[in-house]
Amino acid sequence: MSDEVAPESGSSIAEKVEGEVEKVEGELEAAEHEVEEHLPEGAVTPAPGLLPGELYPHPSPFRYVMIAVILVVVTALEVSVSYLEGSIADGLIVFLLVVMAIVKFGLVASWYMHLRTDKPIFRNFFVLGIVAAIILYFVVLLTLHVFS
Amino acid sequence: MAQEIAARPAATPAARGEDAHGGVGVTNTKLGMWLFLSSDCLFFGAFISAFLLYRGRDQAGPKPSDVFDIPFTSATSFILLMSSLTMVLALAAIQRGDHRRVRIWLLATALFGATFIGGQIFEFTEFSREGLKLDTNLFGSSFFVLTGLHGAHVTAGIVWLLSLWGLSLQGLLPTENAEKVEVAGLYWHFVDVVWIVIFTLVYLMPT
Amino acid sequence: MATATEVKPLPVVLRRPRATQGFWSWFTTVDHKKIGIMYSVTALAFFVIGGIEALLIRVQLAGPDGTLLTASQYNQLFTMHGTTMVFLMGMPLAVGIANYLIPLQIGARDVAFPRLNAFGYWVLVAGGLFLYSSFLFGGAPDGGWFGYTPLTSAPIAAGALPGHGPDYWAIGIAMLGIGSTTSAINFLVTIINMRAPGMTLMRMPVFTWMMFVVAFLTLFAIPIVTAALIMVYFDRNLGTGFFVGGVGGDPLLYQHLFWLFGHPEVYILILPGMGIVSEILPTFSKKPLFGYAVVVFSGIAIGFLGWGVWAHHMFATGLGPVAISAFALSTMLIAIPTGVKIFNWLGTVWGGSVRLATPMLFALGFIGQFTIGGLSGVLHSVVPSDTQQTDTYFVVAHFHYVLFGGLVFGIFGGLYYWFPKIYGRYMDERLGKLNFWTMVIGFNLTFFPMHFLGLWGLPRRTYRYDSGMGWDTLNLVATIGAFTIAVSTLVFLVNAIVSRHRGAPAPADAWDGRSLEWSIPSPPPEYNFAEIPTVHARDDFWHRKYTEDDDGRLVRLPAGGAVAVEERPTGGDDGGHGAPGGEHIHMPSPSFFPLVLASGLPFLGYAAVWKDVLWAIPGAALVLFGMYAWAMEPPTAEDS
Repeated sequence: MSDEVAPESGSSIAEKVEGEVEKVEGELEAAEHEVEEHLPEGAVTPAPGLLPGELYPHPSPFRYVMIAVILVVVTALEVSVSYLEGSIADGLIVFLLVVMAIVKFGLVASWYMHLRTDKPIFRNFFVLGIVAAIILYFVVLLTLHVFS
Repeated sequence: MAQEIAARPAATPAARGEDAHGGVGVTNTKLGMWLFLSSDCLFFGAFISAFLLYRGRDQAGPKPSDVFDIPFTSATSFILLMSSLTMVLALAAIQRGDHRRVRIWLLATALFGATFIGGQIFEFTEFSREGLKLDTNLFGSSFFVLTGLHGAHVTAGIVWLLSLWGLSLQGLLPTENAEKVEVAGLYWHFVDVVWIVIFTLVYLMPT
Repeated sequence: MATATEVKPLPVVLRRPRATQGFWSWFTTVDHKKIGIMYSVTALAFFVIGGIEALLIRVQLAGPDGTLLTASQYNQLFTMHGTTMVFLMGMPLAVGIANYLIPLQIGARDVAFPRLNAFGYWVLVAGGLFLYSSFLFGGAPDGGWFGYTPLTSAPIAAGALPGHGPDYWAIGIAMLGIGSTTSAINFLVTIINMRAPGMTLMRMPVFTWMMFVVAFLTLFAIPIVTAALIMVYFDRNLGTGFFVGGVGGDPLLYQHLFWLFGHPEVYILILPGMGIVSEILPTFSKKPLFGYAVVVFSGIAIGFLGWGVWAHHMFATGLGPVAISAFALSTMLIAIPTGVKIFNWLGTVWGGSVRLATPMLFALGFIGQFTIGGLSGVLHSVVPSDTQQTDTYFVVAHFHYVLFGGLVFGIFGGLYYWFPKIYGRYMDERLGKLNFWTMVIGFNLTFFPMHFLGLWGLPRRTYRYDSGMGWDTLNLVATIGAFTIAVSTLVFLVNAIVSRHRGAPAPADAWDGRSLEWSIPSPPPEYNFAEIPTVHARDDFWHRKYTEDDDGRLVRLPAGGAVAVEERPTGGDDGGHGAPGGEHIHMPSPSFFPLVLASGLPFLGYAAVWKDVLWAIPGAALVLFGMYAWAMEPPTAEDS
């Protein structure tokens, strides 16, 4: 594989060769696929440049950094809100904290775990697990009188 | 290069029975990882529920406000968040074939993760010194088991990441294996996301 | 992937196994068919062991004031009987049949993760041996298969259960759960991603559909019980207070967590049986399944609703009127999709050209007996009734009717049905009928009286009862029934062993079946399908064989007009590579490492039970070595 042999300085020639190899290998794989197996109905041949499972290209590194900045800001806000205990109603604090946690969870899941650019099947299964957990354990806590 | 391609067995992934690109157009491995993460939600949910159930029920022993050092835990939480950034940058790097960067970001992620664990260990020993142990009261029980299991997940992740880093060093993590980094990333982000929930519900909630 | 220049010959111990034939190949196989057989045979062995435990119980209870067993021995026996039948027989037998069949039914060559598949099997062996080793090392689990706290979670010094039984139980079941979870992920990915072209979800055979639902149930239920078991272990060994009432803990939390798992678990157990029945009835009635879509959606509905009924196991724990009313309603509701299936099965048989071969007999037995069990279940959903019935033999009658009269009958039907596919020989029909009738008589003799015994007040889980309570006669009848079941099981085992080598030869399409597994040779070649079929309809194979004339009668299509059923490959079973069309098919290569990884788990288990770190060292070494070696090994050997 040219990856291991290419000099670590990342010379452009080596990278170009790398790119060519990958292109050829990708084309060969697609040709093999076509010849030996019928493409099942409903299967999506990924558009050129996309990997299987992707619907749109992944976000760029710049976006990832922006999301990280937002995550830090929200975390700082969360901590600040928690210090307001005593000054504002507990219920309000709980509400704000939960909303901010959901925002952070959503940002990591959508952007870093690529749920917003991948095929929906991953999101559907993940959400299924989360929703099942929330509902089931909520009922358990309800039955054990946590909310009274 | 031509030798490489010719040497590959003339079998598509589907015929090999692994990582089929047929079906619904996703790889088996990634689908498998998402299903596993889905099930892990229920695992952590049980311990989070036990913690929420027992919050405020202790008659004796330290309470959260007695031991929690929110600034410290905020710092470690920040580090874990940043590790998610470095993780996804590692993935972006391998997808564009930049293997030097892959190693940098993978190592960074593992180091941030290790720092987080170091912070946890420090925190736990502090709490223990202050009188909060596993068997002290319900707070101790539910807190240490929940965060301990989370820490075990992080540790397993660190070992995984260092293994990938080692593979890359030996030239055994080529661009076409980007998926290995991707699924490790999914696991890592999940562990981070669980911490987001824990940090909010365990540390920040008003008592 | 390693380049050609970097591959050095490995030491012998690490060299990739190559054999796909022969005794030793079973230890390294990743072939779903072999793994399915191993799961099934192991599960049947545990069925016999669990049955012996049941016989001991029945001898003890044959008359009043039984003296065969002490209370402690009795507790271990009924705990292990339940644990064995649920975790070591019911689940693995379904997984075994599913393992064999799912790829065949969807037109795939193997499951999505063949080595993970093997791993799941070896975890079953590891967990089963670990659990049973407890008999040798200080006493088996004795807190019931459900392990209620604080009985099981109280520390050894302070509690009522001395010894390590509850620890073996908690760790053993958690260990088995690892294998169940990996199986579930494997089946889900296989069914979602590896169906043949044209095999849409609504064209899949019902058995595969039911296993699809079961896999989701397993995936989400096992983590919950694993969490509960960890809490039990910690309470018992590390001083935590999760279920310690004295410090504010709540033993009911355990019951919630356990039954959150436990109720979906019973659907995990029964849905495979329902799937099998849904396959057998159409074949032996020569009619399609009545209302396929409804049967499938009922299965899905049961899968969903099954999550909402768990506290009906806790009606007598003081949950309060709102909670018990809600759960009573949801429990009544779930009777609907269940009942719907029964009507669909009846509709399938009605007006069909019925052939009462052994598989069909077992399937019909399932319908009748499961219905009885379902009816007693509906009685349980009525809270005041249940409050009387709970903890009595009425409940024992109920769940044995659904799990034995239902699931086990269904599984036996499936074994008779698919045996010819697996081995190329029919099981003996006369022995089969003898098996069936002795099973029906034995089963009903054993468990029908328990409805009465329960209503007359005989409590569960009690090692002996007094005379003069009016319980003596029916208990004796039940014991006689139990031994009849034992005879029936022996008949089955004899039948299976004899038929394996001397049964009447069976063709590929042994029963004039409807689904894809009947279109390949019996036994199937390693690669299953020489050419992955393209599916055009539900029961595609049937439609390639038959069409209907103007009067709606079946007309056989000429053999050449459809895809010809492949003959057995020449030269015996050579792994399929010599077969026409099979030369270019490379199957995943065998591997040691699933076995190695699984073998580390019992060491870790003993370390936890005996609180001895030394045992963890070989355990961790095996687990880590197994994991790394597995990860570094490609799915298919480079030179295969």
